[in-house]
Amino acid sequence: MITLKNRVLALLKLFHTIKDENLHWRTANQDQQAQLKHRRVLAEKTLEAELKKKSVQLTHEITLLRTKNETELAMFKTRCKQDIKDYKQYLAALDQLKHSIQASYTHLPEAVAFTIHHHAKHLLNQMWEAEDFENKMHHEIQLINFMTTVHEDARLHLEGASTEKLPERTLSLIQRK
Amino acid sequence: MGTIPIRAIKKPVAILIVRIALLLLLAAFAVLTSADLLLWLAIPGLPGLMTQLGLATLLSAFALLLITGLLLIGKLVVTACLDYFSTRQRLQRRLLFSQAKQEQFKQLFYFKKLQINYFNEVKRKRLLMADNRQQLQALSRAIDKDLLMIKPQLSKTTYLQLQQENTRYRNQQDIEALLTLQQKIATLV
Repeated sequence: MITLKNRVLALLKLFHTIKDENLHWRTANQDQQAQLKHRRVLAEKTLEAELKKKSVQLTHEITLLRTKNETELAMFKTRCKQDIKDYKQYLAALDQLKHSIQASYTHLPEAVAFTIHHHAKHLLNQMWEAEDFENKMHHEIQLINFMTTVHEDARLHLEGASTEKLPERTLSLIQRK
Repeated sequence: MGTIPIRAIKKPVAILIVRIALLLLLAAFAVLTSADLLLWLAIPGLPGLMTQLGLATLLSAFALLLITGLLLIGKLVVTACLDYFSTRQRLQRRLLFSQAKQEQFKQLFYFKKLQINYFNEVKRKRLLMADNRQQLQALSRAIDKDLLMIKPQLSKTTYLQLQQENTRYRNQQDIEALLTLQQKIATLV
């Protein structure tokens, strides 16, 4: 019975020792702990401020991006509309070209007029579908050359300067391709 | 940084509880074994009591473990919840949301541009097709006129056949065939 009592007392003593040690450790490290806690809070505050700043900045950026995108899209749309208008005008010009050559060469077969018009349209499409600027310019020059030749042929024939039955210069230009 | 001392205190508590539970388990086994021994020695009354004591110890050990586990889980849940709704996490989430929105705007811009380009191209193709059709019709009309002019020199079947060919090629929008037909009619004269 005594040994059991001793054991219980020893156990209690051990418990108290542990508690004491814990208390000692706490008092010894209280400053450090407080400092750590303070530092942690400070770091958290800094992080929060930084995050808030970033968030505000990003929101501002988004607003800017939105405005920029909207204006760019509007511009792009207008440009596309203008493109279509230009294309329409080009088609009308080609039609005019056909009519003018038909008016000059009264006995010109419809097939030849059609071929000339078709070739001009092919050049126009090549110009339109060219990916880079250089290619586009090249095709544009080709188209302008062709149109000038056709007009020249028509003019010469109308003025009586040439007696050919067909616009030979234009046809040779088509055959060269 | 501040979590180190807390862990240093908390960890032994958890270990202590596990140790107590294990000790209780061992004690339960010891009591049960002693009950068995008493039964073997044929001492009346005591074995039943010992068995009940052993079972109670065993149950208390398990209950202790269970309660500790539940408490720990509950604490973890609460901590996680608090962390989730903390200012830092909320700000971080908002930042991520903004970033995602920015990305979305960029993608939307790209696709809108693509869409405008596509519709533009479709419009242009439609214009081109309308023009093609118009030109083909003009050519076809001219062929019809030529055919009508040379009609007296042709047999009725040839005339009809040529006319049908003209209509068919025009409907098929076959440029090459129409041009060949025109040449053929020109050579017929």
